[in-house]
Amino acid sequence: MERTSKISIKGLRKSFGHLEVLKGMDVEIGEGEVVCLIGPSGSGKSTFLRCLNALETITAGEVIVDGYDLTDKKININKVRENIGMVFQHFNLFANLNVIQNIMLAPVELKKITKEEARKKGMELLAMVGLEEKAEVYPSKLSGGQKQRVAIARALAMNPDIMLFDEPTSALDPEMVGEVLEVMKSLARDGMTMVVVTHEMGFAREVASRVIFMDEGVIVEEGTPQQVLLNPTQPRTIDFLNKVL
Amino acid sequence: MSSLLYRTEEKGGLAMSFLGLIRENGVYLLGAMGKTLELTLLSLIFAAFIGLFFGLLNVSKSRVCNTIANVYIDCIRGVPLIVLAFFVYFGIPMATGVRLDALTAGIISLSMNAGAYMAEIVRAGIQSIDKGQMEAARSLGLPYSKAMCRVVLPQAIRVMIPSIINQFIITLKDTSILSVIGFPELVKAGQIVIARNFETFKMWAIIAVMYLVVITTLSKTARALERKISYGKN
Repeated sequence: MERTSKISIKGLRKSFGHLEVLKGMDVEIGEGEVVCLIGPSGSGKSTFLRCLNALETITAGEVIVDGYDLTDKKININKVRENIGMVFQHFNLFANLNVIQNIMLAPVELKKITKEEARKKGMELLAMVGLEEKAEVYPSKLSGGQKQRVAIARALAMNPDIMLFDEPTSALDPEMVGEVLEVMKSLARDGMTMVVVTHEMGFAREVASRVIFMDEGVIVEEGTPQQVLLNPTQPRTIDFLNKVL
Repeated sequence: MSSLLYRTEEKGGLAMSFLGLIRENGVYLLGAMGKTLELTLLSLIFAAFIGLFFGLLNVSKSRVCNTIANVYIDCIRGVPLIVLAFFVYFGIPMATGVRLDALTAGIISLSMNAGAYMAEIVRAGIQSIDKGQMEAARSLGLPYSKAMCRVVLPQAIRVMIPSIINQFIITLKDTSILSVIGFPELVKAGQIVIARNFETFKMWAIIAVMYLVVITTLSKTARALERKISYGKN
């Protein structure tokens, strides 16, 4: 089925000094798609994800998100980012603010809504991730799973159309992975466009509309979870899956 | 100690006891201490702005900004405070014809000097905060300045507090150097009193104790403050 393209990437290259991390990637992501990026560490998955909201400068190629060309110096990158939520491996909750302040900061500072509205919306989001009672608590008092759920709520507070997840469960104790994946699944069910770098093959199989296997800065194989995870054709994909499954 | 008592006796009451010296010069010395604190506080407020300005230039991504900050920091740290004070107090009026009073010249020299060290404190404070904090703020669409002011700096300031206290103490002690341009801070006041009564030993001891008391009180208060603002961590 044909959907409107949310993210369109052509010939994306990224170098750190002399080291080329992304060696020409082409990806189209449609509205409501859940794309899981898998691959060995150092394959460029996270760098790729960080290029989608210009946290990394783009060395060459074209990245069009929501109709904005991120390589165009004239665009207001902050405006583009308001529409792209990001969840990090290490949560990155603001340590100087409590949970509800973490969620309210961007909407209020960017004058999207009043403080009262932001608090109301923040409490709704906290209810959604099951952490209403933690609103006034500082991040240092939360468990890893709770931190990540707050981080998701914080990203959602700006009403983004796209959510990027950078190994959201990799820093969690095993028993906390489930609660975070549950929140992500419900987001996916609600039709959020998601790009997820993950090592959770179960999540990828269950939720992803497409799986991309990356190695050494290129896309090796992509397709439905069925194709890539269960019937891989490329030797590197087969080798990787044998190691992780 | 006994020889001291003996010499006091010998001078036949002309020389005074500690208590007598304090009674006679206490008000004057406390006033001078007040001037010292005023000079320190004003200089440190200006130094904080100078430090914040150059510290932020130093952590910015622009090479030009980094260079400007480094040139300032290197120049100021490479010149002794006493030379800077002479330059501001005697040199600048000579070149421009604008006469500065000792307090103004003192504040300018001390602020410039402490500002360079504050810039380094600010830089180190900001760099000690995990990069993820800035990235998370930027990913939400906050501009650099807002991310810096609302997220990074509040955390960095907490880290910086012990160093700022340390700088406060250094600057407080550095005010004594400004006795050379005639500003009536505590050391200058001591010199004036000693010129009158020749009680070198006791007067310098009194002045040393005055500094000691003020600085110890300050560092204890500051440490209590530091404990108070640890965000829900303890």
